[in-house]
Amino acid sequence: MEKKDELLRIFAGPIREMLGRAALNWDNVQEIRLRVGRPVFVVCGGEEYVLTEEGARRGNAGAAGQIAMSVGMANQITGNVRAAGRIAKRAGEAGRTPGQVETSDRAGAYQATPQDLRETLEYVSSHSLYAFEEEIRQGFITIQGGHRIGLAGKTVMDGRGVRTIKYISFLNVRLAHQVRGCADRIMPYLLENGQALHALFISPPRCGKTTLLRDVIRQMSDGRGFTVGVVDERSELAACWQGIPQNDLGARTDVLDCCPKAIGMMMLVRAMSPEVIAVDEIGGREDIDAMRYAMNCGCRVLATVHGDSLEDVARKPVLGEMVSEGMFDRYIVLSSREGVGTVEEIKDGDGKCLHSENRAKSANRKEGEEGGRL
Amino acid sequence: MIWLRITGCVLVTASCGALGILKARQWQSHRKMLETLRRMVYLLRGEILYAMSPLHEALERVGRKSDGPAAVWFCRMAERLGRQEGETFSRVWKEELDRQAKAMLLSAREHTELAEFGEHLGYLDVGMQERTIALYLEQLDLSIGFMREHEQERTRMCTCLGIMGGLFLAVILC
Repeated sequence: MEKKDELLRIFAGPIREMLGRAALNWDNVQEIRLRVGRPVFVVCGGEEYVLTEEGARRGNAGAAGQIAMSVGMANQITGNVRAAGRIAKRAGEAGRTPGQVETSDRAGAYQATPQDLRETLEYVSSHSLYAFEEEIRQGFITIQGGHRIGLAGKTVMDGRGVRTIKYISFLNVRLAHQVRGCADRIMPYLLENGQALHALFISPPRCGKTTLLRDVIRQMSDGRGFTVGVVDERSELAACWQGIPQNDLGARTDVLDCCPKAIGMMMLVRAMSPEVIAVDEIGGREDIDAMRYAMNCGCRVLATVHGDSLEDVARKPVLGEMVSEGMFDRYIVLSSREGVGTVEEIKDGDGKCLHSENRAKSANRKEGEEGGRL
Repeated sequence: MIWLRITGCVLVTASCGALGILKARQWQSHRKMLETLRRMVYLLRGEILYAMSPLHEALERVGRKSDGPAAVWFCRMAERLGRQEGETFSRVWKEELDRQAKAMLLSAREHTELAEFGEHLGYLDVGMQERTIALYLEQLDLSIGFMREHEQERTRMCTCLGIMGGLFLAVILC
């Protein structure tokens, strides 16, 4: 309920009211997307919903909010659906694939207006867009609760790059979520004789590397007692709001928020003497140099990088250097083959496979077959 | 009976003189209030330009650091904005200003200037905030300058008018 109230505050009046009346399981809400002149979509539990307006038709108080939803989501609705609210299993009725909203659904859907987006932006920025200039340049704003508001519109360029975004017509409210314990399986691979190892998490986008790294940080800090320094350039790991991490990164974790990785790593080494330094999405030459500096200072480094496999990363111009130099002791490769966060393989610094999802499966199969034969 | 008359005359003169002195003090209090407001706007500028604090945070910090009716006004605004009840900043600013204007001893012109200041605050980037604040500070400086310039003559005038008015009333009543 608290999460719902916290979130509803950032929306413009009409959307706030409709969302407030909608019978959604707020623990499962992942995204709310606002686009000028388009329906408002709510992604909940992997399914897509469209916000509709029926106030005029019903004509009774509190009757406007309703959610059109796909088949299979009815069981996720909590509490009693108000007499005023109505759930329509539109996808099923239309014979479509669940989770897809057809253009025809726009007929009854509430269309976000430019005023809605302007107002929402005003509330998101606490009436102070100037305070989020840097964030707007990067395309997102982090709000209380660690939720991130992605922005898109017309970019205004200057000599340094993107100066700001004007005519912000697209908002994506991404709700913060952390999966505690998702790193349980890989933690033994990240430690040796009680010492943390340098580890690189490799995965394509949206495969859970940030979520996994977040839990690794928490476990290193809370479970293993390491002092961890986090350079959170895009406020994704800690999701700091007013300097306070909204995600649990552990009791022994210091966070340098919105700081470029290369500078941040140096600052942490000099100022906070961390035993472990964690950074998300490394890529540039300066990142590699800063990691090398941190490693030479005796810190253990946990980092993530985009890629399909270790070989893929090794082929990249700058990142390949750190693989060939053997900077990391462990490479954890993720995919979403069997759901977000599937650990495909874990390799050591020499590229020797320590764990493979396929190998583990075939071993299990073999055991099963042998057992069957016996 | 004559003693009663004399006592009445003295009381009327004294109370009218006191009214004059009170009016002169009001002028001074008004000037002091504007000076406090100017100090608070400087602090607000620091919060916005240096700390890049959002308005409700900046207002709260400045309000807590200061005293007087303007500080109460800042704190009330910060509290209301913090509740995020879907009100625009300019509306909150104006409504709370109207509520506190009397206690702040603002003249009609100062009230309008302050209301306009709130309408433009929070708009666009930091540079815009800086210019908006600078413009208001300029207006505030003019008001304070005027108050200072005329303070002595105003104080004398109010005191004298009070006493003279008292004497005049005393003569008429006698």
